[in-house]
Amino acid sequence: MNEFEKLEAELKELRPLPPSEGFTSSLEIALGDAGKVAIRCLPDEDSLEQKKSARTMSAYPSKLLSFPRMAVFAGLTGLALASVWAILLYLSSSLVPEIPVESNHSEPLLFVQSTDIESAIPISDDPDSPLHGLSLDQIQDISVMPVSGWLDPQINERLLRMVDEGIFQQPGGLPARRVRHYFMDETLWSHPASDTRILSTTPREEVILIELETY
Amino acid sequence: MNTEPIWKSWFARHGAKLLLFARQQSRRPDEAEDLLQEAFVRIWRLYGHTGEVSPGLVYRAIRRLAIDWARSIDRRQIRENKVALDSPLSFCFERTLEQDERKQALLRAVERLPDQQKEVVTLKIWGELTFDEIARILDESLNTVASRYRYALQKLKDWVPEEMEGKKEDSSTAS
Repeated sequence: MNEFEKLEAELKELRPLPPSEGFTSSLEIALGDAGKVAIRCLPDEDSLEQKKSARTMSAYPSKLLSFPRMAVFAGLTGLALASVWAILLYLSSSLVPEIPVESNHSEPLLFVQSTDIESAIPISDDPDSPLHGLSLDQIQDISVMPVSGWLDPQINERLLRMVDEGIFQQPGGLPARRVRHYFMDETLWSHPASDTRILSTTPREEVILIELETY
Repeated sequence: MNTEPIWKSWFARHGAKLLLFARQQSRRPDEAEDLLQEAFVRIWRLYGHTGEVSPGLVYRAIRRLAIDWARSIDRRQIRENKVALDSPLSFCFERTLEQDERKQALLRAVERLPDQQKEVVTLKIWGELTFDEIARILDESLNTVASRYRYALQKLKDWVPEEMEGKKEDSSTAS
């Protein structure tokens, strides 16, 4: 085949014309969902920036930054306990009938606690507060988290894996391939003033049906 | 995070070769795109979820569809009516070769090849496939495919000087 090597090389130098952009667009339309089944992640500037800033922030010796989930958990737990406690005290003080007490007894313990709590957490009607009976300032005090000054959350969708569940018969009779995508939706809230970040992750599934032609 | 469907990068790699083959099989540029689209969509729907599809499957689908379409009476009539509009092979390649007389002669010679030899040359040279893959696409034996390729190259070797001479004679007659 050596005698043809030069000829082959000459032929290979000729480059076939690539398909037009219009054709590629119409191909995308024709593919529909089948074109979105296999995807690859491209690194973008935002994620690189995020990683960079995360690396920089992790250098600070702040426990809140190192354990943002723990801080949020502690704050929310404290807030929930305080709310339950306040409601219980309110109910007990209004529903429990007055019991005659002996003169040598001091005030009931319950009443003493109620007074202490009410002085510590006065019930207020703040229209901006997400919790009834607590003002924003009170929430901030209890949760040890700033209430205002948060930036818009950054939402990120991460594809974890894709499972081909095979071909099945649709009710109409046509076969279709079922592909399940597992995503992790991440939402990151940042509070620059206190150097705090909260990351929330939510798992999500997406099922794509690709109709197959019988031919 | 940005995502991109895998088929786009796949098509950027193989689209030009597939379109060339589709043009050769259909002989009309507009039908070639339909042919490629139909074949690609069918194959990608079946195997696209794997993320990587063998180009051989699409070549095979193009060929089978071309045969099916050619059997249709309407399409045959259209083909017969529009034979004169068939574009030469040179229109399927990048235009830089207009300057090179030898390359133009080479393409004219390829165009003169019998269809069976032309498709083997196309798949081997521009499709970058092995003889084994070509044999499976064309439903032929390995030896048949290899022989057709050898005969085709021999003809090209003989015809290219002829084509160049012919061109020179034409230009001298015109002047």
